[in-house]
Formats: sequence, C-alpha cells, structure tokens
Amino acid sequence: MDGGSFVDGLMLSLQPINIFWIIIGGFLGTVVGMLPGLGPATAVAVLIPVTFGMDPVSAIILMAAIYYGAMYGGSRSSILLNTPGDGSAIAATFDGYPMAKKGQAGEALAISAVASFIGGLIAVVGFIFLAEPLATFALKFGPAEYFLLMLLTLSAIVALSIGKMVKGFLAMMMGLTLSTVGIDTQTGVYRFTMDIPHLSEGIDFLIVIIGVYAIGEVLYNLLTIDREKKEKKKVGRVWFTKEQWKRSKWPILRSGPIGFLIGVLPGAGGSIASMIGYTTEKQISKKPEEFGKGAPEGLAAPESANNAASVGAMIPLLTMGIPGSGTTAVMLGALVMLGLRPGPLLFEQQPETAWALINSMFIGNIVLIIINIMLVGLLVKILDTPSKVLYPIIVILAFIGTYTLSYSTIDFFLLLIFGFFGLLLKVMDFPLAPLVLALIVGAEMEQNFRKALLSSNGSFDIFFSSGVSIALVILTIVSLLYPLIFKFFKKRSRVNNPDQASKSS
Amino acid sequence: MKAIKLSVPIFFILFSTVFLIASFNLPKANLGNPNAPIYFPAGLSIIMLLFSVIYLFQELKKLHKENKYIKEMLSGRTPKLIGFTLLLGIIYSFIFERIGFLSSTIIYLGALLFYINGVKKWMVNIIVTIVFSFISWYAFSVLLGVSLP
Repeated sequence: MDGGSFVDGLMLSLQPINIFWIIIGGFLGTVVGMLPGLGPATAVAVLIPVTFGMDPVSAIILMAAIYYGAMYGGSRSSILLNTPGDGSAIAATFDGYPMAKKGQAGEALAISAVASFIGGLIAVVGFIFLAEPLATFALKFGPAEYFLLMLLTLSAIVALSIGKMVKGFLAMMMGLTLSTVGIDTQTGVYRFTMDIPHLSEGIDFLIVIIGVYAIGEVLYNLLTIDREKKEKKKVGRVWFTKEQWKRSKWPILRSGPIGFLIGVLPGAGGSIASMIGYTTEKQISKKPEEFGKGAPEGLAAPESANNAASVGAMIPLLTMGIPGSGTTAVMLGALVMLGLRPGPLLFEQQPETAWALINSMFIGNIVLIIINIMLVGLLVKILDTPSKVLYPIIVILAFIGTYTLSYSTIDFFLLLIFGFFGLLLKVMDFPLAPLVLALIVGAEMEQNFRKALLSSNGSFDIFFSSGVSIALVILTIVSLLYPLIFKFFKKRSRVNNPDQASKSS
Repeated sequence: MKAIKLSVPIFFILFSTVFLIASFNLPKANLGNPNAPIYFPAGLSIIMLLFSVIYLFQELKKLHKENKYIKEMLSGRTPKLIGFTLLLGIIYSFIFERIGFLSSTIIYLGALLFYINGVKKWMVNIIVTIVFSFISWYAFSVLLGVSLP
C-alpha cells in the first residue's frame, strides 16, 4: 500500500464538502433503500442526477455513500415491515421481523446497524489490503484476458440466478445486443442506428438503468399498492441488551470476512452473502431452533455479511473496471458519465481518488451508524410515509435524471419504453442484473474480443495463451456448470436425508 | 394471461430475428476485415434466437400455470394505474420543454398523485406537488446548476 496516496486520499475524503456529501448520500440512500421494493440499484439510479456538475471525487464518494446507505436502509423495512428493499435484505426479515413483533424493534434496529457497521469496517480493511495488489495484477491483462474476465462475470451472474438461467441468458444477450447500437469505434461503421442521429452514440445505458430500475420498479410496485398495509411499530430505545450483544458479536465478526470475500466474487453479491452468513450461523449455533423466531445472531450475521459484501463488490469495479453486480454496474455507468474510468489505471493515475473513496467508506460507515441509531425516529416517520406519495416522486426524479443526460426529451420516450420493458421482465421473473451488466460492459467486451483476435491474426488460441486466460476459461465453464452441480448436490442430500428434505419442502 | 406469457418469448424471437437480419445488412468496413462489425452482433443474435426458442418451449410447458404477478397486473385498477402513469409520462414528455419544468411537473406530479393516492387526500397531494416541484427545481436548477427548461 502506498502510504502517501493513502494519506492524500484520507485528507481528500475528510474535506468538509466530501463529509457533507457522505452525510447527504448516506441519508438519501438510507431513505430510498428503506422504501419497500426499492434497493440500492434503484437508489443509485434515481439519485444519479444529484452528482451532476460535481467534482468527480465528490461524486464517487456521494454515490458510494448512497450505495451503502441503501444497504443500511434496506434492512429497516425488513425489520419493521417484513418487506425487504431488495434481495440482500431478505435474510434480515427472518429474525429481524420476529424480534420487532416481540416488541424488540429498537434492539433489532440497533443490532442491524452495529452489525452492518462492523461488517463494513472489516470489509474496508480487506479492501485496503486487496485493492492495490489486484489492480497491479490487472495491469498485466491484455484484451483476451479482459474479454474472458467480462465473460466470466456475465456467466457468473447468469449462473447464480438458479432456476431461471435461460431467462438470465436472454437478458444478458439483450443487453449485449443493445450495446452494439451506434458507431463501431474500430471501423466507424454505423450499426442499427436507423438513421436516427441520436442513436449514433449508442443507447445511453443510464437511460436503460433509470428506466428499468426506477420506472420499472415503481410500475412493478403499483401492482400491489392498493393492498399495502402499514404496520406501526413502537421502536422505543434503540440499543441492545448485554445478552443480545454476547450472542451477536461472534456471528458479526465471522460473517464480515465471509461477506467481503463473496462480494469480491463476480456475480455474487449481498443476497448470497447474507444467506450464507445466516445459514452458517444457524449451522454452528447451539440454539438453531431459535432461528426464525427472533434470534439476535440470526439478524446480526446476515447484516454484517451483506454490508461487507457491498464494500467487497467495489473491488472488481475499482481495480478492474468490471462491476460484479447490478448495483455496481449502475455505479460504473454513472462514473463513466462523470469522466472517471475505474480500472487498474485508476490506482496508478489517480491514486488519491481511489484512496479518497476507500477512506470515505470508513467515514461513511461511521456516519451511517449515527444516522441509523440517532435518527431512527425520523427514519421510522419516513417509513410511515405512504408509498402512494413516494412512488410518483421517484418517477419525477427519474425524468429529471434522464433529462440531465442529454437535455433532450426524446430520451423520455426511451425511458418509458425501458420502464415498461423492465416491468414485463420483473413480472415474468427475469433477473435484471444480467441485462444491465451486459449493456454496460458489452461495447468494451466486443472491442477487447476483436482486439485480441486482431493481435493473433484471427486465431482463437489467444484465449488460451496465458495462465490467467486458461484459469478464466475454466472458471467460466465451472460457473456455467454451477446450476447442474447445485442440482446434483441438492438431489443427493435429498436421497441421503429424506426426512429433512420433506421438512424443508 | 396466456397472451402475456407468450408475448415475452415471441418478442425475444422477433427481436433476435430482426437483429440477425439487420446484422447481415450492415455496411462493410473500409478498414481491416470488412465483416468485422458484423460478427459480434450476428453471433449474439443467433445465440439469443436459440435461447428465445428454448424459452418459448419452457413457457408453453407451463402455459396453464398461474403467474400471480400477471394476475395482479391485470386485476382491479392496476392496468389503469400502469397505463395512466405511462400515458401521463408521454404527455409530460411533450409538454416538458414547451411549458417549462415547473408547470409541467406540477401538472404531471399532481395528476399522478390524485390518481394513485386518491382525491380524498387532496390536501396532501397539493402540498406534496407544490413543495416537491419547487424543491426539485431549486435543488437541480439553482444548487446543482442543471439547466432545466
């Protein structure tokens, strides 16, 4: 680790303006993440316009704060309403909501906030040690390795949508196909622009992101808006008992590193991290029968894991320029728009930016625990605000965000089309992350593919020419076979434990 | 319900077919391999077409199985809610630059709130519309320097 850059980054992140943006981003992220049905990806997508006109360092700090603010926020609605903001907050409902039902809402919120805080801190430490070596390693990557890495990321994200792999592939193909629209940068050929000048630069992926994640999610939430019941919960004192802390501290410390490592892996994110954190603790617990009935460790473990994963997921984004999840894909889109190019060169050319972000994560976690514990009364009041009022506001924010991209209302129509398309995909149970991820990395994937072939005079041997590329090919094949392996082991465990299988089903 | 279930795979089949045809009709490159811009989109379209057909068969197999989300999408006032939100969005797109951000947002947000939140809560709707429209105009236009019409 370069000590000078670290200190420079720390000083940059400690500038009053950046602290201000961390507070604003953390609070806004918490609020949007808290809204039932809306997760970090939507929070970042909707709040992208807030970063316009900002200094890129402040913008990246703000966006990261929105991201982990939304991760904190997601668990508020899980605990209080049994309605997770997104997949990574689902595990918080298992024991968080039963705790709230038992009159321990304040304790549950405190455990969740402290677990998220410690999980986040563990991950930031991991980030400090892992980011730079990984960036240095990524500098050795050529076009073939980059293409294969992107292929692995996409395959992993599709393979992890178990049970809907065909849909995942279709979403991915759709994203890749749409990324080919516009001028081909290598030959100057106009592709699929239908003589519309607006399309010559391609379909702006931010419009697709805002359409799918903001408009699409709001439309999807309209399906159940009339049946929404708001339960008012008394929160009381937001702190936990000694006994609860005793039961939570080790699960928090164990789940943090697990979550971080899962977050670093392409495709895997907060949802998987929190589930693994939860099941691991249940398996090693002396009181597994209490899980699902309000066990504090059942809340602490997934909360620590998912927050650690959210920090871990920033590693592939910053060091290789490849997002490993839907939310980091949205962030990449916004960063590129701001003129920042995450990747190995970021640490070489703009080390202070990279380290400012890493340090801001540390500060952000401190700010967020303060927000989530001291301002809990305000957050609960916001949670009481009817969705029928909040969703129209999100729609307007989506329109403003779109307008600021090109100052053209033509994009409004694209926004509505992709919003409706997003709704259809959600209704038909399509995973959205492969679509967004593919659309963002698609253009670069194609360019790297062609550059690699160009350098090898058209020979595909280039994709097997180095140890890294062979490892990436093997990992891609393994990730594609993962659903089959998963099915096989599930079948085997059913055969071996027929009693347990029947219980679990 | 069946129509919606089938519309998505059919859309993917049509989309990939159109893209495939369009790929082969792309102009040739003057630099390097003349077919270089064609390979990637053509390859993707072929793979997408294959997956679309597999998906169609998957959907045909469970055509009679109920999808609760499609049911919700088609029941009660939900289709109207979705349709109204989109229709108002189209109108907003047309009037945004003509009458300006503030007036068009007050109209769009107000109409959405009255429709979604109900007429009975008219006071909340009016307050939220006016306060949010002004705050967002001030935040974006004045604080963030975004040029809004």
